[in-house]
Amino acid sequence: MANYQAMTQEWLEAWKQKIAGSKEYQEIAKNWEGSVSIIVNPDPERGIPEAIYLFTDYWHGEVRDFLICDKAKAETAKFVMSGDYVRWKQVAKKEVDSTKALMQGKLKLKGDLTYVVRNIKTVNKVIDLLCEIDTVWPDGP
Amino acid sequence: MANGYAGRYLRVDLTEGRCGDFRVDEPLQRAFIGGSSLGAKLFLDGYPLSADPLAPECPLMVMTGPLVGSGFPGTSRFAVCAKSPLTGIWGESACGGTFGPELKRAGFDGIIVTGRAAAPVMLSLREGEACLRDATALWGMDIYAATDQIKQDDPGVKVLAIGPAGENGVRFAAIGNDKGHFVGRTGLGAVMGAKRLKAIAVRGTKKLGKADEGRYREAHAAALREIKDSALAGSLHAMGSDAGMDIGMINGDVPVRNWTVGEDFDLSAALSGPTLSETYLTRAHACSHCPVACKRIVRVDDGPFRTEEGPGPEYETCGTFGTMIMNRDLAGVIKANELCNRYGMDTISCGSAIAWAMELTEKGVLTPEMTDGIELRWGDMEAVLRLLPRIARREGFGGLLAQGSLAAARTIGPQAEDAVVHVKGLDLPMHDPRGFHGMGLAYMMSNRGACHLQHAVLATEQGMASWPQLFPMKDDYRGTTSEGKAELVYHAENYGILGNSLAICHYLVDCLQPETIRDAFNAVTGFDYSFADLMRCGARDWMLKRGINNLLGVTAKDDCLPKRIMTPLAEGAAAGSVPDVERLKNEYYALRGLDERGIPRKEKLRELGLDELGERLFASGR
Repeated sequence: MANYQAMTQEWLEAWKQKIAGSKEYQEIAKNWEGSVSIIVNPDPERGIPEAIYLFTDYWHGEVRDFLICDKAKAETAKFVMSGDYVRWKQVAKKEVDSTKALMQGKLKLKGDLTYVVRNIKTVNKVIDLLCEIDTVWPDGP
Repeated sequence: MANGYAGRYLRVDLTEGRCGDFRVDEPLQRAFIGGSSLGAKLFLDGYPLSADPLAPECPLMVMTGPLVGSGFPGTSRFAVCAKSPLTGIWGESACGGTFGPELKRAGFDGIIVTGRAAAPVMLSLREGEACLRDATALWGMDIYAATDQIKQDDPGVKVLAIGPAGENGVRFAAIGNDKGHFVGRTGLGAVMGAKRLKAIAVRGTKKLGKADEGRYREAHAAALREIKDSALAGSLHAMGSDAGMDIGMINGDVPVRNWTVGEDFDLSAALSGPTLSETYLTRAHACSHCPVACKRIVRVDDGPFRTEEGPGPEYETCGTFGTMIMNRDLAGVIKANELCNRYGMDTISCGSAIAWAMELTEKGVLTPEMTDGIELRWGDMEAVLRLLPRIARREGFGGLLAQGSLAAARTIGPQAEDAVVHVKGLDLPMHDPRGFHGMGLAYMMSNRGACHLQHAVLATEQGMASWPQLFPMKDDYRGTTSEGKAELVYHAENYGILGNSLAICHYLVDCLQPETIRDAFNAVTGFDYSFADLMRCGARDWMLKRGINNLLGVTAKDDCLPKRIMTPLAEGAAAGSVPDVERLKNEYYALRGLDERGIPRKEKLRELGLDELGERLFASGR
């Protein structure tokens, strides 16, 4: 199985294909509408010299754009989630549940929280699929 | 007397019709802070433990804490304490709303009521003065009507009142504050009713002193910033306490069909916070000085469950009158909640008793002939609404349920008892220990019976809060393991208990950084406590109440989980999982300093400054 450098376009594409290939996701996410941006705060010591902006878009069980983008594009998303690199890495390695990280203030969310709670199964499934990708992290495993 | 305290406690003898006051010395305030902790100390030192909970000599205590009335977020609270008529052990229940701060501004830190009035009375407190008034005309009114009447007669007062359930001695009767906030658990409304005390009305304008106004302002500003940044606070504001229903169902937290089914996502979707917001919510509402505003105001416009605009159900009520009884109609939950509020009944114990009766009806143990012709089928809310007034009035089968589910089951037989889900006689709140083993231990060891609010285990084990600066803890606990949970529960109790002694809302404890709470406490009182000092106060509180319960007969055999919870579920996130009770108990006893009989060790009592409790425990032959 291929390995992907974390937070690159190839990594995003692998994630997108995982989601697109999941029949379970298509069923769970049939009501989901809208994009989600992920902002990774800079952490030079761990190989993240500046903030990284990821844009992902979902529509009724389908996946649309998955892009590395700039800040302006990221902020157009329906939901914007931001946090430190180490937190995103913990989430992607399934060491910390994303909802718990959000509640503990380790990740921040801009957007309609009620919508997220209503569709929490969709959120969990997208994260579960991310965790299945063989990821190479800039600061090691 | 330290800063932050009004300086006086009111003592009321209803038999004699007398009101007086007394003071509490600063060393006692330093050791027990306030709220139910100080209440337990005063109870142990001053009153007969062996008396029947409904006897005149048993006290009913209304207690505040030093932050109450300061304006610090979440400190509108007060605790009501007594020997519980439901469980026969220590009883307490905390409440938000308006009453606590008003009591402090009226010049009182608390009220202790004993005796029994010859005829119904209400207690009226205004600007440091107290008097008893005839309440014959209020007796029989529901809580909403009585509260409206009292406020009409005396505008501006804040009201605590009981309804027919409290008057009639329903063992899970509640007490309502201004119609929207309830002292729900352990049946303290029945204690108030037994004293023929219909209501307490209070009005006060006194400004309360703080040791360091500048430091207090800094802590207050920090609290507001933290609330603004908190996803938990945002979630509570947007969806109320029922925000957790959807996630809880995924994680194996929500009980279904009297704790026999592991998951039902259609059910949780129908009853969740988002659904409530999209359907019957008219506005959010806040306790005094709380920016979170988690309370729901709702209205059902038409249909069989039509209600006026009023207080909406909490998560727990959506559980007991929803998932537990297989009712998918949120309007039905709202109507049941309104009736319980009006009659004055704890929605957890009341709904749990009905779920129990529905299970026994399905099994044929109960028949319509035994239930006054009401066929209690799963999900039948019209049957529930017929039953609720009968419980409040203790009529027929309602009278059996009014004893509480455990006592009711014991009159029927072993099969009935197996379906009661309780610890020490208190029905479990709506969090399943099979999904979260730490919660199971917390239920086993809580000093008022199965409880989710005598500690911060719910927040820490489920990942809503993380305080590594307070005690060693993980970022993410797996719910379905018992490993590491005894240590988590021990620390999360010691910290969470402070919510009840400071009288600060548990949601705010979860949303705020411990430093901010500590700084506000020190700024108000001038005590200059460290985290270690505060955690020690929490440990002292736990041990004091444990000692009271030991004196009331509690031993290690009572620290257990019910048979239903020790039966694994077939589906859901908790499938196949049950807490390792023996391991949890052994590890916890060692941390807490209990011997194998569940009695505190002498050296632990000495370490916590509870030598007098030790003398009483060991003088009784232990």
